[in-house]
Amino acid sequence: MIEAICDAVDSAAAAAGFDERTRYACQLAASEACENIVKHGYGEDASGKIEIRLRASLNDLTIELLDTAPPFNPASPPNATPWSVEDPPVGGLGLLIIHRVMDEVEYERTQGQNRLLMRKHTG
Amino acid sequence: MEIQTQEYKRVAVLSIVGRIDSATSAEFEAALQDIMAKGKRNLILDMSQVEFLSSSGLRVLVTTLKSLRKGGGELCIAQPSQRARDAIDIAGLDVLFKFFDDRESAIASF
Repeated sequence: MIEAICDAVDSAAAAAGFDERTRYACQLAASEACENIVKHGYGEDASGKIEIRLRASLNDLTIELLDTAPPFNPASPPNATPWSVEDPPVGGLGLLIIHRVMDEVEYERTQGQNRLLMRKHTG
Repeated sequence: MEIQTQEYKRVAVLSIVGRIDSATSAEFEAALQDIMAKGKRNLILDMSQVEFLSSSGLRVLVTTLKSLRKGGGELCIAQPSQRARDAIDIAGLDVLFKFFDDRESAIASF
């Protein structure tokens, strides 16, 4: 499922005129957001659905994810606690990737749905 | 994802082909644990054919690195694909690993 979402994001990012590396970065961010919905939201519920809406215009991509899992807000800034090479982090990497790749990350809980909006601009 | 393992005297090389994400990271971790269970403390990951690397895979890399270093070993990455390297860089984990341009120089470093 996540691979199919990545393919759709790649096509939309290509339509926005993004280069290959930026397209891949957008795939990564979308993948991390979906993994979070499954991991922190649906859990063992294999019937959970994720709806993805993509909007592309030149140099601009918007990825909107909708799900009905319990509330989870990925728009909160990731933990910025400094870490050492001797004790590197094993958690929070997904959120970190989302916030480093995307220019805007917005979340709202509305009508029993989580709505995550991620935007990337280039140029 | 496919993993091929070659064992040398001082080091083992694991070549990974395909996607390392939430669907495959458990298999990736199991392969690394299998080779560590054989007593190999120095591992080289040939990531030249990694097509996608998500945080699930990055977590496996970090936990394996920590485990190996605790036992006096090391985890190196050889000829990473641009996509593997980009994921590691975006997550800010590039400072953790030793990177080599090819397998031979990675093997020679041990």
